[in-house]
Order: sequence, then C-alpha cells, then structure tokens
Amino acid sequence: MKLLDGMVKKVLGNGLKVFILPMKNYNKTIAVYSTKYGSLDSEFILPGSEEKIKVPEGIAHFLEHKMFDMEYGNAFDKFSELGAESNAFTSYNNTTYYFSTTSNFYESLKVLLDFVETPYFTEESVEKEKGIITQELKMYEDDPDWQVYLNLLKSLYHAFPVRIDIGGTVESIQRINTELLYKCYNTFYHPSNMVLFIIGPVDAKEVLEFVEKHEEKRNLKSQKEIKRIYPDEPKTVFQKEIKIRHSVAQPLLLLGFKDVDTGYDGEKLLKKDIIIGILLEIMFGKSSETYERLYEAGLIDDRFGFSFEAYKDYGFCTIGGNTRDPEKLANEIIKNINSFKTKGISREDFEIIKRKFKGDFIQSLNSLDFIAHSFISYYHRGIDMFDFPLALEELSFDEVVNYIESFFDEDRMSISMVLPKG
Amino acid sequence: MERFIKKRLDNGLNVYLYPTRKFKTLTFSLFIHRNLEKENATKNALLPFVLKRGTKSLPTARKLSRYLESLYGADLGADVVKKGERQIIQILLDVVNPDYLGQNGDFLDKCLEIFREMILDPYIEEGSFKKEYVDQEKDVLKRIIESLFNDKYNYAIERCLQEMCKDEPYSIYKYGSIDDLAGINEKNLYEYYLETIKTSPMDVFAVGDFDAETIWEKLNSLFKFQRSEIPLKPVSVKKEILEERFVEEKQDVNQGKLSIGLRTNVKYGDEDFYALLVLNSILGGGPYSKLFQNVREKASLAYYAFSRLEKSKGIMLISSGIDFENLDKAVDIIKIQLEDIKKGNITDYEYESSLKDLINSLKQAKDSAPSIISLFLDGVINGIEENIDDYIDKITKVTKDDVVRVAQNIKLDTIYFLNKKD
Repeated sequence: MKLLDGMVKKVLGNGLKVFILPMKNYNKTIAVYSTKYGSLDSEFILPGSEEKIKVPEGIAHFLEHKMFDMEYGNAFDKFSELGAESNAFTSYNNTTYYFSTTSNFYESLKVLLDFVETPYFTEESVEKEKGIITQELKMYEDDPDWQVYLNLLKSLYHAFPVRIDIGGTVESIQRINTELLYKCYNTFYHPSNMVLFIIGPVDAKEVLEFVEKHEEKRNLKSQKEIKRIYPDEPKTVFQKEIKIRHSVAQPLLLLGFKDVDTGYDGEKLLKKDIIIGILLEIMFGKSSETYERLYEAGLIDDRFGFSFEAYKDYGFCTIGGNTRDPEKLANEIIKNINSFKTKGISREDFEIIKRKFKGDFIQSLNSLDFIAHSFISYYHRGIDMFDFPLALEELSFDEVVNYIESFFDEDRMSISMVLPKG
Repeated sequence: MERFIKKRLDNGLNVYLYPTRKFKTLTFSLFIHRNLEKENATKNALLPFVLKRGTKSLPTARKLSRYLESLYGADLGADVVKKGERQIIQILLDVVNPDYLGQNGDFLDKCLEIFREMILDPYIEEGSFKKEYVDQEKDVLKRIIESLFNDKYNYAIERCLQEMCKDEPYSIYKYGSIDDLAGINEKNLYEYYLETIKTSPMDVFAVGDFDAETIWEKLNSLFKFQRSEIPLKPVSVKKEILEERFVEEKQDVNQGKLSIGLRTNVKYGDEDFYALLVLNSILGGGPYSKLFQNVREKASLAYYAFSRLEKSKGIMLISSGIDFENLDKAVDIIKIQLEDIKKGNITDYEYESSLKDLINSLKQAKDSAPSIISLFLDGVINGIEENIDDYIDKITKVTKDDVVRVAQNIKLDTIYFLNKKD
C-alpha cells in the first residue's frame, strides 16, 4: 500500500510556493500559510535599499498577534462565523498562520489569504496588545521547563539570536510601534518568502486554481532572497554551566551540545537530522543500557528525553529531564557519551532503531495537523519531509558512526539547571 | 457511516470495534474502571507504572522496549485517567498497519499478544510483583505527584477543584497521594491487582483499517478469562451552594493564576447536557467567547481566559493568568459574563459561532483514533453509547432559550487565586 499520493506543487508568478495534498478519507482540511521570518531575523537590509535595520526583540511574534486585525474587525471573528478554528505561532525561524475546518473551506481560505496579505495596525491596538503579550511572557516565566531550555540556549550561544526568547522581553516589546511593524511586514511577508500548504479532502486542482486567481490580483513580482544579518558566532560555548532557582519541587537538568557543522540545508541537513536522532536513541533511548541503569537508580523517569534541532545557521541537541540530582545525572550523561566514543555503536542497535524510526514516521502520518506543521518546518529548511523514509533507508552504518566523535564534543557542551528555592 | 460495533465476551467484558479506512495504524485501548476513593486511588495510580516494567516473557522494561522497537516502534503504554468519580486504568497499543510494512498477520498477533501480557501476565516473582519494581515505581509516582507544584497553571486548576470538592471523592488527585504510598508493597499491590482484574468493569476498544469479525475473534480468544464484575458507585452531581468561597495561596510566582469552579448541576447523559456544552462554549470556548472577548481583547488583562467542562461530574472551570493587582477586576468581568448569559444577553454571533465550533471540533475528532475512543468512553461512563453524528445532531437542536434555562442552575462555588508572596 502506498503511504501518500497525489501532492500538487506549484511556484506562482509572484514567488509564492503552493503545496496541496489531498487526503480523501478525512473530515477536516487544514491550510497553513507561513513566512520564513522568525525571532532570529531582527537585523536585516530593507529591500530596495542599502539600509541596515535592527528591530526590537520579539517583534516577529508581536506582528503575528497583530496580523489578525483587519479594517473590518478581527479575522478570528470571521473564522468563528464560518465555523473554522484558526491560530498562529512564531518560532525562531518562521511565523505560521493556519485554520482547520470541516465546512466552508473556500470562504475560510479566502479569509486566511486576505488577513495575512493585509497589514492593518493602529497605535491604539498596538498599545493594547502590549498588555496581552506581557501576560503571555509572564506565563512562560512561571514555566520551569521553558526556563531550563532558554537558559541552555543562552549558555550555548555568545551572540546568535537563538539565545533570545522568541517573544522578546516586557521591556523590548514596549519599543514596538506601527511604523516598525509595517517595515517588518513589508520585508518578510512578500510571497517569495512564503509558502502555502493545504491538506484534506479537497480537489487539488480546483484549490490551486482558486489560489492562483487570488494571487494574480495582487500584482506582485517575484523577489530575491532577503538579506538577513546574523552576528558572528564563535565555535565555543558562551558558558559551561548555568543554574537558577525557581519555584519548583524538584530540580531540572538540560544538557546540550552546540552543532558547529552548519551553513547548509536540504538533503544534507535531513541526513544529519536523522543521524543525530538515531545516535541519541541508541545512547539514551528506552532500550539503552544507560536508560535502564539511571531509571533503576532513581535519577530519571519517563520524563527524561532528548531532541535535536537542525537548522541551516545553527543546531543543538538537548538531553535531560526532571531529576533529584542534576550534577550526578550530568556526569552520567557525559560518561555514557564517552563510553560510546570508545566502544562505538552496534550494527544491531542501528538496524533496530532504523526500524523504529520507520514505524514512527508512518504512525505520525495519522495526524493531518502533524503533517501540516512538519511539512512547513522542514520546507523552510529546504527539506521535503516525505523524503524521510528513503533517506532513512539509504543511511549506512558507517555514516552514523563517524558522527559520534565530531558532534558530541565536550568543548561545545553546556549544562542548564533549575533548582528549588531555599 | 463509521460507527462502533458493540460486542460482549462471555465473561462480561465489552468490546467496541470501529473499522475505518482512515488511519495507518491500528489502535487498541483497554480500560479498567475503578471507583475514585481514597482507599485505593494510589494503588490504581501505581499499577500502570508497575505493569510497564515487564511481562512474563519480557521481564524488564528494557527488553520490552527493545521488542517494541523491533515491531516497528509499536507503542504500548499504560496510564491512569480520572473521569468524573472514576479512576480508569488505560492500557494502549498503537501499531502500524502491517499492510504498510509488507508484514503478514503474524505481526499483528505478536503485538496483540504483548498487549495481553501487559494486562494479564505481568512479571511475577514468588507470587507477587517484583519488589524492586514496586519500590522504584513508588518513588517515581511520588516525584510525579510532587511535580504538579512545578506546573503552576495546572496546579491552580487542581487546587481549585480540591478545595471545591473537599468532601467529595472528586477531590482525590488522579495519581493519589504521597501519604498512601507507604502502605503499599509488592504483595498487597499484587493481591489488589488480581482483585481489580477480576471485579472491575472493563472495555476494550479497537479502531483502524480491519475486518471487525477477524479482530473480534482475536480479542475474544485473548481476553476470555474468569471474572465476576462488581458494579461501580454512581457519581454525585447536584450540590447546594450556600455561599461562594474564596481561597488564596501564596508562592513565588511571576503571574497570578486564577481558577473559578462552578456547579452546573448537569452531567453528560442528562437531557440538558447539550445546552450546557453550548453555554460553556459561549462563555469561554474560543476566540468568539465572552471570556476571550472581554477579559483578553477588551480589557487586555490576560493572554488566556477560558472555561471548560468536566462532563462526568457537572463542574465548569474557568482559568486565566493575570497580573496580581487585577484580581478583583478580572473576577468582576468574569461574573458579568455569566450573569449576561443568565439574562439572555447572548448575541447571534456568540450563539452561532459556539454551535459551529462545537460541531467542527466533533467532526475533527473523527480524524483521530484516540479522540474517537475518548468521546465514546465518556458516553459509556455516563450510561449512553453515542456516536459522534448523534452527538452533533443533538447540539444542532440547542436553542438560545435552552442555554438561558440551563444557565439558571449554574452556581459559582469556589474562587481560587495563586498569588505572589508578600
């Protein structure tokens, strides 16, 4: 049986990339409209000029909140009237708007395209939003899992803006005004910098025609890649360790390695993504000797985990969780990595984890939401997520082995801890 | 139309089968229903943790994990949920449909056999659970209970419900209490487990692309053990409120967390339930709702402000994160919203958006196997077996007058506020 079939793709005249994946047995349709513009892009060259501009931290996220404002009122309300559910999020790398619906698909799609393509900001509504976003930031301040993660990034990086909270700070957002919002909008919301992905029980050709007609009316020409300015980032880490006190019952530990093999995306990045994923699973997964030992020693539980974030300009992995003794757990993690550096990994482990990854991938295709969001996230990195099974299949044992030594370098490691107060 | 087929094993175990072409995996869930009561709550919570440690043929968690990985990452999990005044132990199996793997029927049998073992043939030493496993899992459970403190958002909700239902079983936490852990050992837990398997009402659900008759045969032969069911106690829903209570707690937090508990005096299974659903949606179900519009958009007091229902207990809960000094303002606005509904001040936009949102969510739920199961289970608990289409049908018939009528029975019970330390 074939996993998926019939995706339609097209690059429109104005540069917008459109992907439509029909899924005929499902009820809902999801449309995702995303721009390659995230919290990292706070310094850039204004298109058509030589002018360099630096904008306040958190502005991409602020803009996301304000995009729903329209002259007619609020786009949220329009979706509600149509019975569609809509939302948006901002990450380090992109800002993404979406809706899902089981009725009135074309009307909803029109609302989505219109509101993302129409900036409308007033001083009054921008001021009001500052109160709402301040509460959003305060909510995250009370979240120890987010704090331990942010602090790890602050330690791994000297200057690269991934060390700054996506939402900015209560102070930085005060400096945001309508003029700056328009500048960011006009730079990053050009169709050439955007992608539209639609999945659900739709007729792909018909949807494509609808989108083409809509986009033609905008009369825009394709534009070149936007020049973004990132600070120089040394290969070393900013600091080896960070500890904070928080209102928690138990400590949290997150240990991370900074990836310095960067500067590329596409297939090569996908391969690295899979390789580090497999290595982490072999070294720290539930079937590893280390997981069993640490679990039985009471140092970890089900909440122990690991991840790898692979992007063109940066990358890092995280390992950790809740623990009674973060120092000891950090030592055990390092010890385990060193022992794998000496003894290597076994072919059998490699083959079994590959098999698990294959199954996990097929399983993840049950969820249209998962497909939509993964597709977008990988797309902005020049990766087609549906290449995953083949890339996994073709991966050889030797390619994986070579990475252990180079990636898990103790000089590029930081440790973040959250400890209970007094 | 896709719906559940109900069957019953000779030993009284209910089997619900839902064949559908939609999903790429086969999902099986077994539910063991227990009364929520202080005496047994901690044991019920501990059981899934111990069952996950090993089975007769795979006696360690590591061996079990490795075996599941080799079955293409089959998910086999166990957990406990609280629904109304029941604690339900859930064992879940999710496996890739063998058709996508080029595997034969033998593959599914292997998966189902390990599912059966986890439930009926856990790892036993000298007539009881293995001592180390029970001791270690007691420690894990203790940490999990303690860690609610780390999660201020859910902490404030849980504490509100505890205060509100002080003298009712509903105040018991789904993971039980640390105090009760001391009295549990490998012997009494095993005896309790045998009793549980023998006397508890049990349901098995299966969702996926299968032939109902074939799966029925398999489940029938796997689960035909001797049992004699003892019926569960009914839940108490109606409660007279003499006066509104205010409970304040102080911790080192950055944002105040407000939770408000209300009695609706209606539960799933009652005629008025569907009107209550619409009411809840109008009050705080989405961006169109009164709470979102007034607490967030108009007053910009909060990032989130919503209400939700505990269907099987008739409780409505309102939650919002606010600045400490805005407590009175927020509570006033929230009370006015509820009063407005009681007075019939409901706009067409609010009413229609609520209906559409509920219907859209239910139709979308049909795209997820866990949601299909969970919704139907809610019905089973409340004595009605209702497919999603029937559910939608009843919501469609709710009028504004119905909502206003049901609103008259809603009484504010407890206001809980997590404040900062002085």
